[in-house]
This record gives sequence, C-alpha cells and structure tokens, in this order.
Amino acid sequence: MRRHATVAAARLLRSGGQMRAKTPDTAVSQRPPRLGFGLGLRAQHYGEILDGAPPIDWFEVISENYMVPGGQPLAMLEKIRARYPIVMHGVSMSIASTAPPDLAYLDSLRSLADRFEPKWVSDHLCWTGVHGVNLHDLLPIPYTQEALDHVASRVHLVQERLGRPLTLENVSTYVRFEHSDMTEWEFLAELTRRTGCWLLFDVNNVYVSAFNHGYDPLTFLDGIPADRVVQFHLAGHSDMGTYIIDTHDAPVCDAVWDLYRAALLRFGRVSTMIERDDNIPPLADLIPEIARARDLADEVLGPVPTSRAPEPARSHASA
Amino acid sequence: MQRAILDGDDAVLALIPDSPRERREVLLDVYRNGYTLRLAEVLRSEHAALHAYLGDETFDDLARAYIAAHPSRTPNARWFAAALPTFLANTEPYSDHAQIAELAAIERASADAFDAGDGPVLGLDALAAFLPEHWPGLVLMPQSSARLLTLSSNALAIWTALDADEEPPEPAILAAPETVVAWRSQHGTHIRAMPPEEAMMWREAVKGLTFAGLCEMVATYDDPDTAALRAATHLQGWISAGLLGGVRVTG
Repeated sequence: MRRHATVAAARLLRSGGQMRAKTPDTAVSQRPPRLGFGLGLRAQHYGEILDGAPPIDWFEVISENYMVPGGQPLAMLEKIRARYPIVMHGVSMSIASTAPPDLAYLDSLRSLADRFEPKWVSDHLCWTGVHGVNLHDLLPIPYTQEALDHVASRVHLVQERLGRPLTLENVSTYVRFEHSDMTEWEFLAELTRRTGCWLLFDVNNVYVSAFNHGYDPLTFLDGIPADRVVQFHLAGHSDMGTYIIDTHDAPVCDAVWDLYRAALLRFGRVSTMIERDDNIPPLADLIPEIARARDLADEVLGPVPTSRAPEPARSHASA
Repeated sequence: MQRAILDGDDAVLALIPDSPRERREVLLDVYRNGYTLRLAEVLRSEHAALHAYLGDETFDDLARAYIAAHPSRTPNARWFAAALPTFLANTEPYSDHAQIAELAAIERASADAFDAGDGPVLGLDALAAFLPEHWPGLVLMPQSSARLLTLSSNALAIWTALDADEEPPEPAILAAPETVVAWRSQHGTHIRAMPPEEAMMWREAVKGLTFAGLCEMVATYDDPDTAALRAATHLQGWISAGLLGGVRVTG
C-alpha cells in the first residue's frame, strides 16, 4: 500500500498537479509559456527549416505522424526539437467518443511526449469513430449536459494517463444536433472549468462554424474564458456559397484576419501559428503569413519590448 | 452518424436541423464525401506508382472498393493502406492481373522500410574483426528495416519505370518468381531485385544458418569451386548496402 501511495505521489508531482483537477472548480496547472509565432511542421519543409534559419519561433507537429517505429520522421523531429520548442497536436484521441478510451493510443502518445517534451499536447473536441473504426474526421457532438459529463470524465482520464494537461481545440462543423441544450462556447467554457484543460482557439474554425450555423463569431469569442486559451490556429477554408468547408488548404482570408484581431484583443498575446494541412506551398510562401500574424499582434497589443526569442525569456512571466 | 458516413444510412437526419442557408442533406454530405475523399487521398499518396499505372478513374474505383471493404482502424491514416496488396490479390478484377497487387506490395514494402524501427547496421570493420576460425560459425542478422517480397510478375520493372516517370513495360508473368528486397540505409529507402542464388542465401541466413552452412548451400546451388567466392561477394554486397544489422558467433 505504501509503495502504491508513493507511486501515486510521484505521478502527481510529475503531472504538475493534475490530480487536483479531478475536483470541479479546483483545476490548477501552470499556464504553458507563450511561444510567439509558429507553423505546423510538414515533411515538405524539413530541409528548408534545417538548412536555413526561417523567422519561425516554434513548430506544432501532428502527433500521429511520429507515432511510428523509427526512421526519417523521428530523426527529423529530433533535429527540429533540438532547435525549436514544439507542441504536439493529435487528430485521433476521439475525446468525445462513446467508445472505451484507446489506452494503447494514449500510452503511445505519452511516450512520444516524454521523448520530445512538447510545451503542451492538444487534440480536438470531437469524436473520430466508434466500434474500432477511425473515420479520420473531426466529427461534431451534441452540446448537452450528458455529453459534458462524459467528455469531462474522459479529459480527466486522459490527463491522468498522459501525466500532463490536455489542450482542446474547437472544430469546424457543418451540422448541429437538435437536442443540444447549450452552445459550443458554453460547453468549452464549462469543460475547461471542470477539468483544467487548456484551449486551442482555432480562429478559422470559429469563423467556419459561425457561418455554417448562422451565429456571430464574436459571440463565440466572448463566451470563451479569456485566461484559458494557450494557442491560436490560423488557416484557410473553401467557401461553397451556402456553407464553408474547413479545408486548411489556402491562405488565411481577410475575414479570419479580422477575427484574429478580435481574438488578440480578448485573449492577449497567445502563441499563434499558421496551420496548412493540404495544398502545402514552399516554406517561403508561409513566412509572410507568419509575419502578418506577428505584425497584427504588435499593432493590436503593442510591440514586445524584448527579443523575439520568447520562450526562455517569458516562461516565468506567463505563468 | 457513423452509419450515415459508412453505409449511407439517413436516420441521423432526424437529429439535424437545416442551417439558415442550406438543407441538412447537403451539410451531412460534407462528412460523407469528406470521408471517401480523405481516405482516397491517403491511398493516392501511399500508392503513387499504382495510381500512375492505373490512371485516375480505375484507381478511384479501386480506392472506393477498398475503403468500403476496409474501414480504417488505425489512429495514423498512414497504416490505413496496409491491407491493400492483400485486398488486390484477392479481389476481382484486380486479382486477374498479378502486377497490380504486386505493384502495391512494392510500395507497401518501401513505405514500411521508410519508418521501420531504427536498428544497428553491420559494417565491414565489425565483420573483419572476427578471426578466420570464427567465420564458419558466423550467423548474420538482417537490418531491422529489410523486407523481402516474392513477385510472380514483372511488377518491379513496372515500378522502376513509373518511379522514373517513364512508360512502363507491358505486364508479364515471369518464368520464375523474382525476389525483391526493400530496406532503409542512411541514404534513404532502397528497392532492388535479388538474383535467385543471392535470394536463396539471404533466406537461409535469415533463418539462422551459419556462414559455413551458407557456403554449402551456395555450393549446392551452382559451381562448387567458386561457391566461397560467390558467398563472400553476396555478403560484401549486403554489408556495403547496409542490409545487415549484426552478426553473432555460434559453435
């Protein structure tokens, strides 16, 4: 018994106080550092990143792309990680699924995180399949009290299993469910309050969902607790006229830049990145978008007084 | 909703309202279409040569058939295509053309070698350090990324042409099966044919036969007078290519 208690205590210490998050209203974990302006890491850019010194502060990596036995992907990630802070972003956790949690997946994710020490680990508020099937899509959930209880219990389990807080992202949706009894932002706000999870605010996804469901994206923005957002995604989409598809395959459009401006005013200087998942251009084409995000943040919030090497300098201030 | 996406079931429409601008059927189709498009894209990217060989229309038919038969069960879409070679070998009309499944198998082996587990690579120095009296008892171990295929068709010649953006040869069934090895070295992923004697020696080596035993097998296979030289030549080729992971001494 004593040994088990010691193990539990050690795990508690390692997880940065996460076990306290089991009780509602007491979720406390240290706010992750502000990283500056980053980019989603894609294999097409490995060479350009490692051979040059592009003005990029940090990288987000798709966790599943590195959950492989070995070879070039992991070797490249080692090299990138030696030079830049990274965060890990998953697409298959299926946190809102009614299927039993995939513990093998979570353990594999944890060992990747233990090896590469990301500043945080994120996934999406969605489900990706049941009965062992992975639909490789970020599927919508009903925003109900029942779903909230379910997802909150899963977040607790995941945070315990990963030994670190989870960060959850809002997804683009095309349909909603009649029986939802709260809004998406109310759901997210209550979820972070109950579990201590952090939020990844995808500005494009808010814009897409707001258009598709006919609400004002600023209402969404105002409904998210200002102190829980640790990351912004900026991306492009495909406008189909009567609906918008989140394709993440195009430059950020002006309407999303405008919403980013509003997000900066509400959430402050949050770690921001350009996320391009398809139709991936040369690195040189993405650098101006990163620079635009940086310039916009400086314009809205005032320039940062210190250097652009933000991570070590600001890790205390951001707590 | 999963049934709506996988099987076209419409029951979930009862739970979904129209949006202010669009009908619910159209909105649900975004998920339905997205599912097939996304997985077809995975197959195209994992099987670029097969796609080039078959063309868009035939490849898309093939992709739809595979997606319907094999829903993904893996977190990483990279593994979704894993069963494609077996599917093509066992499903008409693809199974009537051996080169189709075998082309897929070559691409599969290459992809598997690409991110296989990292393992040691045996260098010439390590082998040269063994005393002559130890050589007969040496057992060679393959590098962890090495994968062997046996092909009945000229799929390797087709793949080689497609990989070089050249016109592939007409499909043909070979007089004798061809052995192909895929592996990863520090220079990247490689694929090459193994001539019959070398392939025989490799298979015996992987089973754990000692170097003396391998020389005997080679002597039985062809001219016994030059067998030791031929075995040494094969071995040297494997080492310079980075195909071996280690060696141990028995006996």
